[in-house]
Amino acid sequence: MMRLLAKRLAAGAGVLMVLTAVVFLLRQLSPVDPARALVGAKAAAPVVAAERRKLGLDDPIVIQYFRYLGNVVRGNFGESAVTHNGIGSDLGHFLTATSELLIAAFVLAAVLGLAFAVATVSRWRGSGLLRLLMVVMSALPVFLTALLGIILFYETLHWLPATGQSSYADAPSGPTGFLLIDSLLAGRLNVLWDAFVHLILPAGCLAIAPAVAIGRVLRSSLQHAMRSDYVRTARAKGQGELRVMLAHGLRNSLGPALAMAGVMVAAMFAATLVVEEVFAWPGLGQYAVQAIDIGDYSTIAAVTLCLGGLYVLANLIVDILQAAADPRIRA
Amino acid sequence: MAVAEPYVAPPPGRRFRVRLPTLYGKVPGSSYLAFGALGLVTAVTLVSGAIAPDNPDVPVAIPLTAPSGTSLFGTDEVGRDILSRVLVGMTSSWWGAIAVIVSGVLIGGLIGLVAGAAGGWVDSVLMRVTDLFLALPGAVLAVAVAAALGVSYLHTLIAVAIVWWPLYARIVRGEITRLRASPHIEAARVAGSSSVRIALRDLMPGAVPPTIVAATQDVGALILTLAGLSFLGLGAPAPAPELGSMSQQGLTYLFDAWWIPVLPAVAVAVLVMVANFAGDAVRDLFTDR
Repeated sequence: MMRLLAKRLAAGAGVLMVLTAVVFLLRQLSPVDPARALVGAKAAAPVVAAERRKLGLDDPIVIQYFRYLGNVVRGNFGESAVTHNGIGSDLGHFLTATSELLIAAFVLAAVLGLAFAVATVSRWRGSGLLRLLMVVMSALPVFLTALLGIILFYETLHWLPATGQSSYADAPSGPTGFLLIDSLLAGRLNVLWDAFVHLILPAGCLAIAPAVAIGRVLRSSLQHAMRSDYVRTARAKGQGELRVMLAHGLRNSLGPALAMAGVMVAAMFAATLVVEEVFAWPGLGQYAVQAIDIGDYSTIAAVTLCLGGLYVLANLIVDILQAAADPRIRA
Repeated sequence: MAVAEPYVAPPPGRRFRVRLPTLYGKVPGSSYLAFGALGLVTAVTLVSGAIAPDNPDVPVAIPLTAPSGTSLFGTDEVGRDILSRVLVGMTSSWWGAIAVIVSGVLIGGLIGLVAGAAGGWVDSVLMRVTDLFLALPGAVLAVAVAAALGVSYLHTLIAVAIVWWPLYARIVRGEITRLRASPHIEAARVAGSSSVRIALRDLMPGAVPPTIVAATQDVGALILTLAGLSFLGLGAPAPAPELGSMSQQGLTYLFDAWWIPVLPAVAVAVLVMVANFAGDAVRDLFTDR
C-alpha cells in the first residue's frame, strides 16, 4: 500500500511539473507584454527594454522557467488584476469555497450513481423512468440545469436560495475555511443549515453528469458481478437479495466505477467554473471568469495550477479507494 | 462429412470493394430516427443563414419581447431576434465540434498509426507523450490555452483539439497493436510488402471502425465542452451569436425575460441529444449483435 502511495505521489508530482511547464510556455505565447503592461502603452522603447531587463524577461527561457517554478512553490503568483491583492492569498480564500462545492458534488454524484446502478440492476419500480430522466439530464449543459433549477426551486417554489454561499454576512470564516465545518465548530447551527441549503442546488447541478457516467459503469460491472458464482453461493445460503448485492456484488464492481469517477473529476472542474458563475459562488470559478474577462493571464495560470493540484489529489484519493476495494491492486 | 471446396477467386473488379454494414433487419428502428434527426439538424445548420427570419446582429424589434407568433423565440435585451441568433449559434457550435473531432481523429489517428505500426522505442515515446496529455486535466488546460492565445472562436477550437486528440491516438494504437499479431499481416510481411504499405493497406482499415464509433460518441460531449467554454467567455467575443455566451449575457434577465438565457441553452441540449443518439446508432451499426 505504501509503495502504491509513493508511486502515485511521484506520478502526481510529475504531472504538476509538466503542468507548470505548459502554463509557463503558454505565458510566452500570450500577446500581452508584461513589461509594456507595467510602464504603459505609450512608453518609449528604451523604457520598455529597461523594464524587461528588470523583470528578467531577457534571461534564457530555462532560467525564467526555474525562477517561475521557485515562485510557484513559494506561493508567489504575482498580483491579480482582478482584486489587486496577491494571487496567492486570493487562491487561499477562494480555494476552500470551491473545494467545499466540489466535495459536496462528488459525494452527491457517488450516492446518485450508486442509487442509479442498484435501482436499475434490481429493477425496482420506476427505475426505467429514473434511467431515462438521468440520461436526458446528463445531455443538458450544466448552465441549463442550473438555470432551470433556479427557476423551479427559487422563483417558483421558493424552496432554495439562488445565489451565494450563505445568507449571513457574519458567517464564520474560521479555522478551516469550509463553511459547513466552521459553522459547526462555532456552534451556530442556523448558519450551518443555511450553508447546507445554499449548497444543494449548485452541488446538485454539478453532480448530475458524473452521477450518470458513474452509474452506467457501476451498473454494467454490477450486472457482471451478480452473475458470478460467489453471488450464487450467497443467495443459496439464504441471504436477502439486497444484502447480497451490497455486500458481495458491489465491492467487486467498484473498481471500474472508481476509475470513471477519477476521470469525471477533470470534467467537473470545467463545470464548476460554470456553476460558480451562475450561482455567484465565491470560489475559484468566479475568480477565473473575472480574470478571463479582463485578460489577466497570471491569475488564470495560477487557477489552472491550483485546479491541477486538486485534480492530482482527487486522483490519488480515487487510487487509494480502488486499492482499498481490490487487494489485488495493492502490490 | 463435407468435402473441402476448392478456393475460387472472387470475380475481378470486386476485390477492393468495401463492404458496407447491412441495414435491413439488423438495425433497430430507433437508429433510423436517430439518423433522421442527425440529417435534419445538419440540414438546418447548413441553411441557417437562409431560414433565419431576421439579421442576427442587428436590433429588429422592441427589446425584451416574449416569444410570440411574430417572434418565435422573442427578442433579447438589445432587440435582436433570438431565433436567428440561436440558428447561427447552432451552426457554429455544430461545425466547430465536427472540425475539432476531425482534426483530433486525424492527428491522434496518425500518431497512433505510427506508434502501433512501428513498435519499439517509437511506440514507447509516442505513448508516453500521449499518456502525459491524458494525465493533465483536459478542461482546465483548455481554459488556460484559450485564455493565453486570446479570446476568439478559433483559439478555443484549437485549445480543445489539443486536449482531445490523445484519446484517438490511444484507440488507434491499441487496435493496430492488436491487428499486428494477425496472420494476414504476417503473410503480407512474408510476401515482401514494405512496412508503410502494410500500415496503410492492412492495418489502418482495421482501426477505422472503433475510431469512428468513439468519434461519433464524443460529438455530444464536445458540444457541451465548447458551450461551457463559450459561457465562460472563451469563444467568439460578444456580440457574436454563440449559444454559450448568449446564455451568460442573458443571466441578469433570468427572472424578467427567461427566454434570453434559457432558449440558447435548450438549443445546446437539443444538439447534444441528437449527437448522442446518432452516436449510439453508429455504435449499434458497427457492433455485431
